[in-house]
Parts: sequence; structure tokens; C-alpha cells
Amino acid sequence: MARSLSFFVLLLFVLHVSSESTGEVAEQLEGEEFTEELLLRPLPDRKVLSHFHFESKVPPTNSYGHHHRIFPKAIYQLVHKYRIKEMELSFTQGRWNYDSWGGFDPIASSNAKPPGVELWAVFDVPPDQVDASWKNLTHTLSGLFCASINFLESSTAYCAPDWSFSSRSGNLRYGSLPREAVCTENLTPWLKLLPCRDKAGLSLLMDRPSIYNGFYHSQRLHLTSDEFDPVALHGIVLEQTLTIVLQPDALDTRASFSSSRKLQPSWSMSSLFGKMVDGKCALAKSSNVYVQIEGSLVHNMKDTWNNIEGYDGEIAQEVPYEGFGSNSNFKFSIAPDRVMKETNSFHKDGYSVLYGFAINHYHGSKPFDLGFWWNLPVTWSCVKAPLRVSRFLMGSGNEKGAIALSLQSTEWSQSILKAGKNEEKCNLRVDVFQVVPWYIKVYYHTTKIFVDGMPQALEDIIEKMSVSPSEDKVSPGVMELILRLPCDMKSASLTLEFDKGFLHIDEYPPDANQGFDIPSAIISYPDFQTRLQYKEDNASIQSPMVSKMQERRTVLSYTEVLLVPLTTPDFSMPYNVITITCTVFALYFGSLLNALRRRVNEEERLLKSKDKRTGKLQLLLSKFLSKVRGKPWEPPSSTPPSSSSKFISSKVILKILLVAAIAFGWRYYDG
Amino acid sequence: MTNRKIHAFLSRSIITTLVITLSLSCSIIHFSNAAASTSSSAHTNNWAVLVCTSRFWFNYRHMANTLSLYRTVKRLGIPDERIILMLADDMACNARNKYPAQVFNNENHKLNLYGDNVEVDYRGYEVTVENFLRVLTGRHENAVPRSKRLLSDEGSHILLYMTGHGGDEFLKFQDNEELQSHDLADAVKQMKEKRRFKELLIMVDTCQAATLFSQLHSPGVLAIGSSMKGENSYSHHLDSDVGVSVVDRFTFYTLAFFERLNMYDNASLSSLFSSFNPNLLLSTAYYRTDLYQEQVEKVPVTNFFGSVMKTIHTSSAYRAISGKYGSSVKSDDVNAQRITSSDPEKLADNADIKVMKGGGCPHADLWNAIVEKFQGIKNADGIVNYGLVGMLALLAVSTWQSS
Repeated sequence: MARSLSFFVLLLFVLHVSSESTGEVAEQLEGEEFTEELLLRPLPDRKVLSHFHFESKVPPTNSYGHHHRIFPKAIYQLVHKYRIKEMELSFTQGRWNYDSWGGFDPIASSNAKPPGVELWAVFDVPPDQVDASWKNLTHTLSGLFCASINFLESSTAYCAPDWSFSSRSGNLRYGSLPREAVCTENLTPWLKLLPCRDKAGLSLLMDRPSIYNGFYHSQRLHLTSDEFDPVALHGIVLEQTLTIVLQPDALDTRASFSSSRKLQPSWSMSSLFGKMVDGKCALAKSSNVYVQIEGSLVHNMKDTWNNIEGYDGEIAQEVPYEGFGSNSNFKFSIAPDRVMKETNSFHKDGYSVLYGFAINHYHGSKPFDLGFWWNLPVTWSCVKAPLRVSRFLMGSGNEKGAIALSLQSTEWSQSILKAGKNEEKCNLRVDVFQVVPWYIKVYYHTTKIFVDGMPQALEDIIEKMSVSPSEDKVSPGVMELILRLPCDMKSASLTLEFDKGFLHIDEYPPDANQGFDIPSAIISYPDFQTRLQYKEDNASIQSPMVSKMQERRTVLSYTEVLLVPLTTPDFSMPYNVITITCTVFALYFGSLLNALRRRVNEEERLLKSKDKRTGKLQLLLSKFLSKVRGKPWEPPSSTPPSSSSKFISSKVILKILLVAAIAFGWRYYDG
Repeated sequence: MTNRKIHAFLSRSIITTLVITLSLSCSIIHFSNAAASTSSSAHTNNWAVLVCTSRFWFNYRHMANTLSLYRTVKRLGIPDERIILMLADDMACNARNKYPAQVFNNENHKLNLYGDNVEVDYRGYEVTVENFLRVLTGRHENAVPRSKRLLSDEGSHILLYMTGHGGDEFLKFQDNEELQSHDLADAVKQMKEKRRFKELLIMVDTCQAATLFSQLHSPGVLAIGSSMKGENSYSHHLDSDVGVSVVDRFTFYTLAFFERLNMYDNASLSSLFSSFNPNLLLSTAYYRTDLYQEQVEKVPVTNFFGSVMKTIHTSSAYRAISGKYGSSVKSDDVNAQRITSSDPEKLADNADIKVMKGGGCPHADLWNAIVEKFQGIKNADGIVNYGLVGMLALLAVSTWQSS
């Protein structure tokens, strides 16, 4: 007994040791990688931006094989089945406020998305199979993410951009559903792609009610693979980001200022999300939280500090560390592990700072709850996009209208353009990509361009233009433009006229009265590259999110979704018309017939004759008659039976009797 | 004269042989079918199709009804991949919802029905009569993912719950189109013929719900409606925080019944039926049981609202399974197992199948007996060959006689 027990203990020990060692092996394994990161940034309008960034990588199949420890199988199979080179799917609710939340930084350019669902994908298949792959992909994604992405299957809903969207055109398809609802059921499958789901690590913060209570949230999935290249180097990279703008509830700020309402609201992770982080996801290679302070804020903080205390050179020199000073503008509840300074700022007088916090050494009994407290009031503004873009509808009535795209220069873009290019002829390149559904029949020849209110010749402004007009019930209209706008202009606008089409009665959605959406247009500025370059204190730490910020990306922004009211049929009208017409006809013909057929004398005569012939015989007769006719019998009413029915009754009885007699006779003689 | 008689005799005998062979083949086919259905018609899995057919914010309660049922069937053990949830509108993240990502069915707000793990399969504009009938009958496009299909089989118990606005023999979808009682009955009939269910419980919470069942004729269907013809189904109470009514009376009292249960309770369907009080419902709940073979007093509610599987111990698991999918060679094995198993439900199934057999081919019983005897004969091939040769001879004789 004792021997067996000791053997059992030994076995347990061996098992334990082996499991530990396999865990270490899994960690050491170079192949798959998962990192989780969170960026928090105070916004000028008293809100807080939270940006989650999860990245999973898997090496190419031919060197690594088909089996994965961390990488989601669903995505791997998707990539292989449809031979996807690159794909991006985003679910967004709310609209990114380019003016007050920034339009120039990497997050605004790559994570501000149009409302609803946007999907684009590049396939590595022959051009004639791309559409089939796209259709199947939309169905698969709709099953995977619990959304009606399969509506993008129809050829009226997606398009193949020629050149503006991406250089890999031909095999690229783009589609968006502006009215798609985004809710918990879309987030949950997205979280299920993470190795720790929402059970551990940073994803633990995703409390659904607080996330969906925000002003903006966008959940995005970006996929790149070089699996099908002859020499695969990177394998599949899956990037999942969730960008939320939240309004923090004002924490109990220890404000010494009487004007505490001017103080930005202080916040902590538990006040924003209602949850705390119990340490990192065990499968993650690195797990970091960053707080980003924008360049203009750093600059303005120096100003406020100077105004209050007088100039102090030393503090101004040590801005990155000023968060710790007892009399600084703000402070953290936890000391940051590292600080990174921006090296190449567009701002001459401020550079943004990134505070990094590693959450490796936090656990359940000591949760990570970062707090951010403001001490002094400060105001600042974000770096805006080169132009302020808005799109709107013109005209009235249900027949025609016009789409107008207005581009207004911002102060900042003026300054930078003037400073940057002092040549005699400077211009700003703007790319426009717009998809319009077929029932908005845009007349592209009516394109007009106004600069500072003055009409301009199209050739002066438009450098390149490619248009594929819509085809009724087959394809949407696609317009791609490259505009060259003069630098010194204040505003420019582009207008296009359209006619409103009619849908078939079956094609109207149940809430057609609400109007129809024109998806957002994409405006990009290839002259400008968004890039935040940080000088890291300790270069050993690799952060996919920070390296993503350092990538060169074109600045782009999305316009509003347009809501076009179309003529909707009154679906109850046919019914009403039928009812009223029938009533009128019935009244007319009923009274006419009555007047024509009514014979007063006859009726009186019948009434008299009927009075005579009441009795048992008639009752019996009528009963028998009803049997013969196969109708339920009803007792003879007091109203006189019509003469014709009586006539028929006696004849029918006679006939029946005759037939019966013949039949009887036949049987008798023949048999 | 004699020649003519012989001729008549021969032709008659030929006809009889032909009839015998034909009916034999018929019965063999029938027998193999019966064997297949016998081995797999036990209750093996549970599915639920939950449909909210109403759009717009003021129909919040219909979504709450559906989500309450969703929660209940999940709690009682039906997994998400076997639930098809159709929600016609987005209430949880609706701009009018004061509690984003939350849906409540009670004004005490104790229970968030839209928890962290809701899987909506069809939503928004996708909830149409066409898609609904496609789900039931299983006629989808090839590309439609598995999560959007009802992949039930002949051993499935299906719960079909629908709520929305309805009337005499119709149910409105999205305020735009109607599902008629004929459509529903037709779909159910197709399902029966395609062997997509063993038993089906249709539960409808709408005005004049009983009229929706009037055209149903398929066996194995049980129907519960919230109100009779000419009656309305009313909402239960108004939540002044949410601003609209949050649950319907019929669903509210159904949930009140289920909240007291867990997976292992044996509450019967009849106890569910008797729990509806017309005075509280303000309508008369209607049950249609004439198409259902079993006694509702003995059927636990978890047969439809939960997924409680019986485990049957067999000494040779693989042989039993191969008998299910294999040819009729293994059918003896299956039969033996069926008879030895003491499960009353299975015996009931057996009786059920006998009835079916009798109904199918008029001489099936007789010929099944004959076929069973044939099974015993070792040298079956030889007999068949002799028979064929004999038939050739008969043919030759008959042609000679006629010429």
C-alpha cells in the first residue's frame, strides 16, 4: 500500500515537473507570438481614448506546420481557404471627431473607421475567381462575427477600386455597410480569437456596458499573410485593435483650485472600465500599458507651469519626468517603468511623450489599476488633419439632388504648408474615393469644383480621375479622384448631381421611411505621412503597437455617411384603394340591381300564397330538399321563398323519383 | 379449350410471380429503411430556433422575450451552436437604450439578458420569412456557414419559439411581410419528410397565436400558443427607466415556471400547461397535442427546453454504431440491442415504428416475416439464381403458348 502510494506521489511529481517544463518550452518557442498592449490618452474635450492592440503571429506553414498553440484556428483556416493576402474588417459605432480627437496621428489614420461595417480584402487567386472568393468570405465572416456581412455578397454592395485604395488593386474588393448594428455579439467572437479570451490580461477590462457606453468604439481586425508567396517570411500576422473614446466620471480630484470645473477629469482604469487587470495573459509575450501625452499638451503644460511659478529652466528640461514632481500638472498612481520621447515632431514646440507600464508582476491579489490625476487645469488641442472634410446633400424633393464635398483648410495645415514649401507654385494633393449605391444615379459629367467660392476648370484641379458609373441593380458607382489644390486656398468644394432611382417593391427594407445610406468617402493626403518616432529608453523592449506608430502611413480620413430620403411607396395604399373602390362599386351596383329587379306586386302576392301553404308538409319538404342539395337545413323563415326555388324543388323531386323508379325497374327485370 | 386454360394458368402464375418479386423488393427496401430509422430515431439531440420578428424600439419586449428563452434553454443545457437566434432589430446597442449592451425583462434590472456571450445568428434585415423557412427546411445557399443552419436530424427534439405581432393565421415579420399558418405547416411537413426532427414543440407568443397552428398535420408536433382566436396577448409590465414594456405576459409566466427548474428536474409538459392561469395571462393559453403520440404528463419539459442526454451502456460500442450506418447485415445486432435495452422510451419507439410499417406497404408485415425467414437461409445467392432461371423458363413457356 505504502509502496503504491509513494509511486503515486512520484508519478504526480513527474507529471508536475513535465507540465512545468512544457510550459517553459511553450514560452521559449520562437514561432508563435502574442502581445497585448493598451494605449490611454487624455483628449482635449475631457474624454479619454483607450486603444487596445493585440497581435498574434504565426510563422509560414511550410516551415512551421499546420498546428498552432496560440494562433486562432478559425483565422488560419480562413486565410488558407480563401487565399487571403490582406484583409481588414472593422465594426464601428459612432463617428470619430477629427477636430477634437485628432486627425493626423497614427490612431486617427488607421483606427478611425466609418460607422457600421467596413471590409476589404486582397486575394491571391486568379482575377476571375476573386468575386467568388469574396462572396464566400463574406458569408464565412458573417457566421464568425454574428453580423450581416453577407449583405456585401451582392454585386451592388461591393466594388473593385482601380488604383486609389491600394496599390494591389485587381484582386482587392471593398465594401461597407453603414447601417450595420455593432454590439456585444460582435465583440465576443472577436475576443474569442485571443488566446486568453476575456478571462485574463488586458482584455479583462472589456466590460460590455462601459465599452458600449462610449462616444466611439471601433473594433478592427487586420490580417496580413504571405503564406502563398514563393518565399514566405512572415507567415500570418493578425492584428486586433479596439479603439474606444470614453467620458470618465469625474473622480474625486484633490483639487486645490477653486475652479475645479476647469480641471480635466481625473481617471483610473477602474473608473473608466469598472474593472482592473489581474496581471498579464500568461500566453502573451509582452503585456504593456502606455499613456500618451500629446505634443501640444506637453507644450501647454510647460506654459501653465511657467505662468504660475515663473520660469524654471530645470523643470522645463525634464518634462518627461515631470509627472512625478509634487507640483506638476498631473501624476500617475503607479510609477511608469519607462518613458519614451518623440524625436521628430511636426510641432516645433512640443513633442509627445509615452509612459510605459509593464504589468508582468501584477496578479489577482495585487491588481493593476492605473490612475491619472490632474493637478493643474490645462487646455490644448490635437493635431488636426490637413483639411477639414465634410460631405453633405444639396437640393430638395424626391427627384434629384447633389452631393457636395467641402474641404476647408485648417490653420495648422496652412502653417505647415507655408513653412514647408515656399516655392512659387505649391499645391496639396488630395485623393478621394467614393462609392455610391446604384439607386443614387450620379451624373459624373456634372462635376464642379469651386476654390474659395470661385468655379474652377476641372483640368486645373483634377490630376487623375477614374469613374465607373453605376449599373442598375448590378453594380454601384465608383469614383476615384486625385485633386491638386492650391496651398493658399481657404476652402474648396466639389459637387455632383444625381437623380434618385426607384427600387422594386420587394427591395425596400422594412424601415425604408428612414432613408438610404451612402457610405463614407475616403479622403487621403499622400503628401503627408503620419509617423510618431519615439526614442526608447531601453531598446530591448519590442512593442508591436509602438512600431506600428512608427510606420509611415498616409494620413486619411472618412467623411460622414449621407442619409438620402428616397420615394418610398405607401405600402398600405393599394389596400386602401382596393377597399374604397370595392365599396363604391358594391354600393352602386347593389342599389341599381335592387331598383331594377324589385317587383312590389309580386312580393305581395307571394306573401299571400305563402300564408296559405304553411304546415307539416312544407317543413318535411324543405328538410328533404336540403338533404338533396347537400346544404345544412334551416327552418323556413318568415320571408317568402322565391318563386324560382319553389319551381326547382318540385321539378327536382319529380326527376329523382323518376330515376329511382327506372333503376328499380331495371334491377327487377334484368336481374 | 385446354390450351386456352393452360395459357390462362401460366399467364396468371407469371403475374403472381412478378407481383411477388415486386412486393418482395418493395418490402426489402422498406425493411432496410425501417431498420435505419429504428436504430437512430431515439432522441439524440436538442435544437432551439428562437425568433423575434419585430423591429423598432417600442417592440423591445419581443426581443426581451426571445432573449429570456435563449437564456433559459442555454441554462438548461442546449449549447450555443444548437441555438438559432433571430433578432429583427438591435435593442441592446440602440441609441434609445439607456443601458447600452444590456436588455432587461424585468424592471428590477437584476438580470442582464444580453450578457457577455450572446450569439445572434440572424439579425436585422436578415430576419425575413424567406430566411426563416430556409432555416427550418435546410435549403440554404452553399456558402452559408454552419452556425446559421439548423443541422438537426431524425433524432432531434426542436423547440421553435416565435414572438411578434400576429393575427388570424399569420405572424408579421418586421412589420413588412407575413408568415401564414399554411407556410408554417408546409415547412413543418417538409421537415418531417426530410427527417429533420423527431419531435417539435412550437411555442408562439403573439395575438391569436392558436390560429397559427390550425394547418399543422405532421405527426410529432406539439404546439403552445399564448392566446385563442379573437384574443390578444398582452405585455406584462412597463419599465419606466427603459421607457417601454419589457416582457409579454405569456413569456413572463413561462419563465416564472422555468426559473424554478434546473436541468435535472422532471417537471412534465402538462405541468407547464397547467401553470398558465388565464386570469393572469388575460388570454387563454392554447395547447395542441393531437399530433403528439406520447402522453404530455410523462414527457419532461427538458426534452425540449434542455438537453439532457441519456447514456446507454453497451458492451460493444463500435459494433452498435457500425450497425447504425452499415447495411442490413448488421441489423440483427441492432434489433437484439433494441429488445434487450430496458428503456421504456425505446420500446415505445419500437411500437411506433411498427405502426409506421403497417401504414407504409399493405403487405409489409407479411413480407417482413418472409424476409426474416430468408435471412436465415445461408445460400441466398443460389436461391436467387435458381429463381432467375425459373423465371426465364416461365417466360419461354408463355411466349410459346401465345404463339
